[in-house]
Amino acid sequence: MKDWLNKSSKSNKKQAQSRRSANAKSLGNKSLGNKSNKQAKQIAKPGFNRWRFQFVIVSLVLVFGVVVFRAAFLQIIQPDRLLVEGDNRTIRIKEGTIQRGMITDRNGEELAVSVPVQTIWADPQQVLEYPEFETDVRWEALAKVLDMQEHELLARITNNAKKRFIYLKRKTNPVVADYVEQLRIPGVRLREESKRYYPAGEITAHIVGFTNIDGEGIEGVELRHNDWMIGTPSKRKIIKDAKGREIEVLEEEKGSKPQNVVLTIDQRIQSAVYQELKKAVQTYEATSGSAIVVDVKTAEVLAMVNSPSFNPNNRNNVPLRSIRNRAITDTFEPGSTMKPLAVINALDYGSYGTLDLVDTSPGYMRLGGSRVSDPRNRGQISLADVLKYSSNMGSSKLALSTPKESFLGMFYRMGLVDYSGIDLIGESTGIFNERRRWSDIEVATLSYGYGISVTAAQLVKMYTTIGAGGVSKPLSIIKTELKKPEEQVISKEIANDVLAMMESVVSVDGSGKRAIVKGYRVAGKTGTSIKAVGGGYGNDYVNVFAGVGPVSNPEIAIVVVINEPKGDYYYGGETAAPTFAKIMRQTLRTLNVAPDALGESKIQLADVKRESSGD
Amino acid sequence: MVKTENERRRSSIWFRFHIDVPLMLAILTLMLLSVFVVYSAGGQNIHMALRQVFRLGIGLGVLLIVAQVSPFFYQRWAPHIFVVGVCLLVAVLLFGDMGKGAQRWLNLGVTKFQPSEIMKLSLPMMMAWFLSKYTLPPSTKNTFFSFCIIAIPTLLIAKQPDLGTSLLVASSGFFALFLAGLRFRILFGLGALFAAFLPILWFYLMHAYQKQRVLTFLNPESDPLGSGYHIIQSKIAIGSGGFQGKGWLQGTQSQLEFLPERHTDFIFSVFSEEFGFIGVLLLLAVYAFIIIRGTIIAIRAQEGFTKILAGSLTLTFFVYLFVNIGMVSGLMPVVGVPLPLVSYGGTSIVTLMASFGILMAISTNKRLLAA
Repeated sequence: MKDWLNKSSKSNKKQAQSRRSANAKSLGNKSLGNKSNKQAKQIAKPGFNRWRFQFVIVSLVLVFGVVVFRAAFLQIIQPDRLLVEGDNRTIRIKEGTIQRGMITDRNGEELAVSVPVQTIWADPQQVLEYPEFETDVRWEALAKVLDMQEHELLARITNNAKKRFIYLKRKTNPVVADYVEQLRIPGVRLREESKRYYPAGEITAHIVGFTNIDGEGIEGVELRHNDWMIGTPSKRKIIKDAKGREIEVLEEEKGSKPQNVVLTIDQRIQSAVYQELKKAVQTYEATSGSAIVVDVKTAEVLAMVNSPSFNPNNRNNVPLRSIRNRAITDTFEPGSTMKPLAVINALDYGSYGTLDLVDTSPGYMRLGGSRVSDPRNRGQISLADVLKYSSNMGSSKLALSTPKESFLGMFYRMGLVDYSGIDLIGESTGIFNERRRWSDIEVATLSYGYGISVTAAQLVKMYTTIGAGGVSKPLSIIKTELKKPEEQVISKEIANDVLAMMESVVSVDGSGKRAIVKGYRVAGKTGTSIKAVGGGYGNDYVNVFAGVGPVSNPEIAIVVVINEPKGDYYYGGETAAPTFAKIMRQTLRTLNVAPDALGESKIQLADVKRESSGD
Repeated sequence: MVKTENERRRSSIWFRFHIDVPLMLAILTLMLLSVFVVYSAGGQNIHMALRQVFRLGIGLGVLLIVAQVSPFFYQRWAPHIFVVGVCLLVAVLLFGDMGKGAQRWLNLGVTKFQPSEIMKLSLPMMMAWFLSKYTLPPSTKNTFFSFCIIAIPTLLIAKQPDLGTSLLVASSGFFALFLAGLRFRILFGLGALFAAFLPILWFYLMHAYQKQRVLTFLNPESDPLGSGYHIIQSKIAIGSGGFQGKGWLQGTQSQLEFLPERHTDFIFSVFSEEFGFIGVLLLLAVYAFIIIRGTIIAIRAQEGFTKILAGSLTLTFFVYLFVNIGMVSGLMPVVGVPLPLVSYGGTSIVTLMASFGILMAISTNKRLLAA
């Protein structure tokens, strides 16, 4: 075969005059020797010499082409994906870590706090770098302290061999964490997390709610004001290098600091109310119970408890029904506690004056096939007596004495079909069927609290409004500087008159005599309703007592609900009233409210009462 | 015309000092570029850039010295140098220092030294000497001997293990043989033999890490944090340069240390990220110019030894370039070969400059001899 090397020897013949060729001839012959020259002469074909040279050139061009194309492919055709990949490797959004805010009561008592705890985690890849780990006694010790089987623990490592992070045990106590740290097992580490702790436990469980294991609120105030308490962590968009070091901050977004939440709850009252309610629920063998205490002047909730409650620090095996904040979620037919509304409506509309009498004889009446009746015929009675003796006839007559729209409107005005303002997730607005046409019997039963369902919160709001001289404010559970909207829904005179009438209920011969609080003048109303079941009424009762005190300068409104008492007592006046009295007394004492019935063993009767009875 | 040009060239000062001006200009361009890219790739370490300047200076000195030596000196001493080189390679295997898992270095007390670098120059010389001694194209017997000559250093270097260098050394010997007129029949036969040899290579001769590299090359995304890491990061770096590049010192992949070995083997990725497709085209143009110039020198060389040697050195330089760029851009498995003249590193620069020195000696000596 010939090759490009021979080109020179060949060309020296063809281009003898060329200096280059001449050189090549003289030297080429010397160095290559005769043999090669001879061979070149023998087989040299002009085309072939170039062939090998061209082959090399073409190969070079081709390979260069490939390289250029490759670069073009990566840099021009495909760069978007690779650009993103590049950014993925360098740009991070970092969130600052912050500890969740506290929840305290109105006096700064801690109700929910975050405490730092240790979480034990493992890096399976690092663990598996030591193949002998399966026989390491330290793993046995670790399994023991974590309360796991050793083979289970090892299986979790080997099953996640490719991962770099798995939890072994979250939020352990410091003793376990210390022990694990001293074991010094390669690949097993600790990480600080924060755990939510509720010092008040079951007493405030329903209000405060709780967080999940990742520290997000999932119930109660923890849920409702989650954003507030976690704040917005500050966000920084940064460029980082391969070792995770921060190189440059591209954007910075200032977060808001986590806020502490201050409740309107007074833990002293809350605690006392809880004890009383729990006792009552046990005593009367009730299914459940709720109580709300509201500051009449500000409409702030001072206590809101339910029984049964639960321990938010250990929620294992807690039945869901215990977690419900019944005071705002559960509705019931308020029964006779609605009767003041009928009185208010009649006074407001003007169909009855404060001193007018209501004719309740003969103690019953028929309204479109249904019957409204009192236990006995009380004849002509005052408005106060309608409440005092809880006369169904009286309230029905009062309700029917005004246009229906007026009476129905009163429910709206007193906030019985609206949110109470407590503003927690899961609050109910009750059930109030808005019909186009109301029959007389429907209006009549509505007047003594059937055909409408309310929550304890709605009910206490109505009594708060009465206590506050007809000024309605939304209830609140969070302390804020914001001024509440207020509305005069009924006149001050009517409110005070009705309050005075309700005081007669809490008298030695009234239906709420067990609600008498020694040393204080208290107004209130009992309520007993039969629970509706599947289209009719069953054998279970709801006992309610709603009241305000002290009457001379109302400070506190309270509603107590005893749900389904199974014992010998099942009237509101028998179960809810005494519980109310205890709660009222403790609350007034705790708040250092001056007694307004000092030195009087008998309940002072209001002027209205005296005048009406004098009639 | 030709005469006057030759006269002019010969009388120029550059010619007297055996400098091939176009080749020299291209090399100086690359050297200048090298300093800037090394500065960027080394995390803007001025000391690193200065060391590179120092090494390039040494390389330049070596080039100038080597260029002064007559090619016939190399021809005369080629077999001796080759024997010494082989002995040193054996010595490395016996007494060499370990570095990064391979036994490549010979500790001379004062300095460490990589005998395989000598072989990059010595083998082409040896092949050129051997082939040009006999009839060209080589007879079958001589072809067989040639393969033996290639095999000895190649296997010794592969044993260190240093796949990249052994590949370069083997290809330099092979190019010499090809340029000497290796029959195409034998060439294709060898190709077939190599294909048949591949399984043996795979199952018996390759180290686990080398196999891993090949597997990674075939599918780098299979293990992005492990063996595929280098190549994925490198491709991202090249690709994210886009058409215009991110600008000098602005490459995130390289500046933020995602790229491994970025000042040595992966410096092309740094360059591509910062200077983009335009930069890559210009860089390749400079390389292409050097290779074309080398080929021209080989074509103009007037006798067997110099022709074969110049051609072999030039093509080896090209392989050098292609293996590196192919590796960092994901066209080839990862083989530790630096980007010629640009990568940070002493030995390879000195060897490369020496080979350019030889090229220049070849390009400028013929006419002096002729005169």
